Amino acid sequence: MSAITAERLTKRYGQFAAVDDVSFEVPRGQLLAVLGPNGAGKTTTLEMLEGFTRPSSGTVRVLGADPHRAPRAWRARIGLVLQSTALDGEFTVADTLRLFARHYPAPRRVREVLDLVDLKDDARTRVGVLSGGQRRRVDIAIAIVGRPEVLFLDEPTTGLDPEARRHTWAAVGNLTAAGATVLLTTHYIDEADHLADRIIVLSGGRVTADTTPRELRARGGSPVIRYQLPAGIAADDMPARLSQWLNGDDRTLIVRSQDLTGPLRELAEWAEKNRLGLAGLEVGPPSLEDAYLAVIGEPVTARAGDHA
Amino acid sequence: MLDTQAATAGAVRAGTARLPGPARLLGTQVGYQIRLLLFSGRAVAVGIGLPVILMLASKGSAKDSHPNVAGWAVFGLTITAWTSYGVRLVAAREAGVLQRWRATPLPRWCYFVGAIAATTVVAVLAGAVTIGAALAFYGPHFDDGNAVDLTVKGSLAVLVALVLAAFAWAATATAVTSLIPTVEAAFPVLILSYFPLVIISGVMFSVTEPHWLSTFATYLPAQPLIDAVTRAVEPAPGAPFLDARDLGVLACWAAGGLLAAIALFRWQPHRPRQRRAARKELSRPRGSRGSA
Repeated sequence: MSAITAERLTKRYGQFAAVDDVSFEVPRGQLLAVLGPNGAGKTTTLEMLEGFTRPSSGTVRVLGADPHRAPRAWRARIGLVLQSTALDGEFTVADTLRLFARHYPAPRRVREVLDLVDLKDDARTRVGVLSGGQRRRVDIAIAIVGRPEVLFLDEPTTGLDPEARRHTWAAVGNLTAAGATVLLTTHYIDEADHLADRIIVLSGGRVTADTTPRELRARGGSPVIRYQLPAGIAADDMPARLSQWLNGDDRTLIVRSQDLTGPLRELAEWAEKNRLGLAGLEVGPPSLEDAYLAVIGEPVTARAGDHA
Repeated sequence: MLDTQAATAGAVRAGTARLPGPARLLGTQVGYQIRLLLFSGRAVAVGIGLPVILMLASKGSAKDSHPNVAGWAVFGLTITAWTSYGVRLVAAREAGVLQRWRATPLPRWCYFVGAIAATTVVAVLAGAVTIGAALAFYGPHFDDGNAVDLTVKGSLAVLVALVLAAFAWAATATAVTSLIPTVEAAFPVLILSYFPLVIISGVMFSVTEPHWLSTFATYLPAQPLIDAVTRAVEPAPGAPFLDARDLGVLACWAAGGLLAAIALFRWQPHRPRQRRAARKELSRPRGSRGSA
């Protein structure tokens, strides 16, 4: 049985459909990332799965129960990190976790939770003096202290610095390794790429892709060469076969092709003839971000030099 | 250890691990809320310190007047249970603290009954401290003929009145704060509703005219408490400490406030209202598999 099932889920506010006919399933133990631009319906979808918002139509089952009617015992099996919550700043981290742990039938030990979210050293620190990233990890700690089988994370790393995001990713990784089912919403493509077994892209309240990160990346098109022109070199200094791929705005050469050997050889020969180093040259697969932008229908930037 | 953890997790999945009972959860909530209220230095200063200072300052060296013990005790109790608690509750809701609690298995009623009960305890403490200060400064040893006294029976009577009134004010504040949309609005709304009410009730000075206003005040939750405290600390020979009508008014406010709180209480922050157009029909991007 799937941990989460949504069938033809719709939420309307008057004429506005925040979520429109969305269906998906999440098997137990999977980490599903829901991507989408602002207003795509991610949080509304999550609120229906969490039982905080009643769908206008469609059905939701989480651990076999309708979240809106589920009893307290169901709530004890679910962990939530909401998009914007706050904590009482006067309590220490350990006191806060002890307080929340008292509400669950078989909570994790506070020390174990602090280990999982890498906050051992801050156990006796007041929540009010923690950094934004540390507070977000306290939020995650509260969500997991009850030993949840399903965890909903609504943009858990928004606003965090790169180091704090890495810490949070590690904490989420620890949970999935322990067998939890996780549904994560995020704006960050790299976060979904790093953490998710599967990605759903929501756009305009609808599912526009339901796939794995690898498959989504494959939709981004061809492998790519990127090269930033050195100072003092103008577009006219390049042979026409190379300058046709030049993005005039930022002086970046961008070549997309299934076979990059020809353009790469020409670029290397031109650089050698002009005694230019190729520092900053990038050759790689299509990015997940490009694929995501293609899926949500946004124009991908710096496409002037794309090679057909 | 891993076996124990696995067994615990298995018990949770099987639903055999029992949820903590309501009594334990309520006790936890009351303790948590009391700590929160007492952590707030401003609330303690305004609710407990300020009434004592005002009582001592207003009595001064006047030889021919009673200290306004009842008025300032009621001031401390009500400003704690109405303004300090109300502002904190709105701030907690708008910051998302209440939503955080809603995500736990805590029963809905347990949160706000815990909050009301904790506020009752702290508000009663505020009133009791003022009465205690009055006894310390103007007790039976006070020799200007206006001494304050409190018998055991009087203490019990005043405790009953304080508890009932504090509960009534906190419950009503819980209901009213559900209608306040922002933290910025909380203080003005609560203060503007508070001061006229306590002034016409005679917290700071006696209001006897116009007659209709003083009659109206007897139906509000401040004057019955002032009367109860006054009867206890300035007892008249043969008069009962507690008046049934006063208790009835306070009980009505307590019950009404609780019912309104149950009906109106909200966990989620208010969201600004915004008109949004219906979405245009989307064409599915190429390569999309749609829903699974």
